[in-house]
Amino acid sequence: MELETQPRSPGTGGGRRSFLWKRFKKQKVLHLFVGLGMVYLLIFAYTPMFGILMAFKDYSISSGIKGIFTSDWVGLRYFDEFVHDYQFGKLVRNTLVLSLLKVIFAFPAPILLAIMLNEVKHMAFKRFVQTISYLPHFISWVVVVGVSYAFLSTDVGVVNKALLAMGFVDEPLGFLTSPNYFWGLAVGSAVWKEMGWWTIIFLAAISGISPSLYEAAEIDGAGRLARIRYITLPGMKGTIVVVLVLTIGSILGGGLVGSNFEQAYLFGNSINNPTSEIVQTYAFRVGLSDGRFSYAAAIDLIQSVISVALIFSSNYIAKRVSGSSLF
Amino acid sequence: MLKSQRQKDLVFDSVIYAALFIIMLTMLYPFYYVLIASFNKGSDSLLGGVYLWPRNFTLENYRMFMDDPKWVRAFLVSVLRTVSGTLLGLLLTSIVAYGLSHRDLLFSKVYFTVIVFAMYFSGGLIPYYVVLRSLGLLNSFAVYIVPSMLSTFFLLIAISFFREIPGELKESAHMDGAGELTIFFRIILPVSTPVLATMALFMGVGQWNSWLDSAYFVQSEELRTLAFRMMEVINKSNSPMDSIAVANSASAGVTSFSLQVTSMVVSIVPIICVYPFLQKYFVHGIMLGSVKG
Repeated sequence: MELETQPRSPGTGGGRRSFLWKRFKKQKVLHLFVGLGMVYLLIFAYTPMFGILMAFKDYSISSGIKGIFTSDWVGLRYFDEFVHDYQFGKLVRNTLVLSLLKVIFAFPAPILLAIMLNEVKHMAFKRFVQTISYLPHFISWVVVVGVSYAFLSTDVGVVNKALLAMGFVDEPLGFLTSPNYFWGLAVGSAVWKEMGWWTIIFLAAISGISPSLYEAAEIDGAGRLARIRYITLPGMKGTIVVVLVLTIGSILGGGLVGSNFEQAYLFGNSINNPTSEIVQTYAFRVGLSDGRFSYAAAIDLIQSVISVALIFSSNYIAKRVSGSSLF
Repeated sequence: MLKSQRQKDLVFDSVIYAALFIIMLTMLYPFYYVLIASFNKGSDSLLGGVYLWPRNFTLENYRMFMDDPKWVRAFLVSVLRTVSGTLLGLLLTSIVAYGLSHRDLLFSKVYFTVIVFAMYFSGGLIPYYVVLRSLGLLNSFAVYIVPSMLSTFFLLIAISFFREIPGELKESAHMDGAGELTIFFRIILPVSTPVLATMALFMGVGQWNSWLDSAYFVQSEELRTLAFRMMEVINKSNSPMDSIAVANSASAGVTSFSLQVTSMVVSIVPIICVYPFLQKYFVHGIMLGSVKG
């Protein structure tokens, strides 16, 4: 063990190489371990990256993986086709609106919950609320949609039954089947599912704030709200920025509140389609259902390019504005 | 002055406690409602008015569920993929992470670049599908396990955990002539329970809840998972023609809705059962990877 860390004598290139080789041989089992992971990533992460080529080619699935390289180039034909698709405007609008609404409503929610929990003096109550609040994070979107059905559907929904019984409405509201409700439904269920989970990180940030700051403020006569405003919030700033960068970078996928695709796919139906169909569900339909692989790959690619651009620019802005950033 | 401050605090506290109480109810009640609905006669639930406990108690929903070989099979497939997927995922992830946790590892910069790049860029669904197809993984049980055995996210968490294990532990074992494999299995893994438990929880829950891979990559009826079957009944009743679906299965008072809530309970219960045992680990474990200092 010690030999490795000792300064090596300056020698010729050959000596250095044999030294490296010695070290490598000594670590060969470790390199075998790591090599397993590298092979794995090569197959399941890097080979699909080469597959992006098919967006520029006339790819047919029967040609297998080789076809990615051997099929004919078509340039930007599929990108052009997507931009001129009659659904293009609707898809882009729905994707952007859903993502933006989620940032606006779902991003502040866990911050608010963390601040409220921090003000609670009963530890048992605090812990209980917290434990309950992140339970939905572990439940699948399928169950969340099932729960929504049980509460909001027109035939069995508890909410509609209650509204009818109390005489607030004359006929059940089509929460799940009307385009007017889809965005609210998606944002609401996303907040419900992920709010508690992200609270963990913000609570951790709060726990890093020195208690002496609060004591000093109290002596100076600062009320509870003033302490939140001048101590708690500034103390969370770094974490808030990092989470915001993460959110914006993954905004097209659903940000920190989970999958836009799963929501749009599971909540979506033929009636709320005007607001529920997004770029990802469309790419899935034309790709795996209709078998138009190159076209779907092109749509996918546009989206990932935008995502990568978003994460780098939001990171850059965060660094300039606040000094904290993700990388 | 002091008194008004105290009054203000009282108002402040009441608002916060009230808000938290409402949040708690919003989180809990849906689960509770699904539970009571699964014990209520299906045809009775359709009338509405069941809020706090089953009005027409029955076990018929669960009997229907257990008598249907399709559901039982889906349940078993889910159990099998969760157990094997979690164990194999833990094994591969921790082996690779152990190698990478050595700070003096040659080429470690190259290795880390490969990992971080894979974290931010991906080929997208369609090329991924083509790769799985070429590997012959489509329509096989292996498609649930093999592609998800290594996640870059867990890898980084495990590396930072292994790095905090004191080096003396390994060195003394080296002195005694133990090889890397022995050290890994006999010394490193046993002291890594917190991070293993954390990863097991997340991998397990991910496997248990997954329906996308069943929808994308599998056509065979025998390989459907519980989550996928649930998605099917929910999607069917969610669509505008739901009344037909309800009418179809209205035998013995079991409706598509009551079957749906029953399957939901079946899929939630295992998660609730492991939750208390593992959550003391994961709050700490996830912090380790995300927020430092």
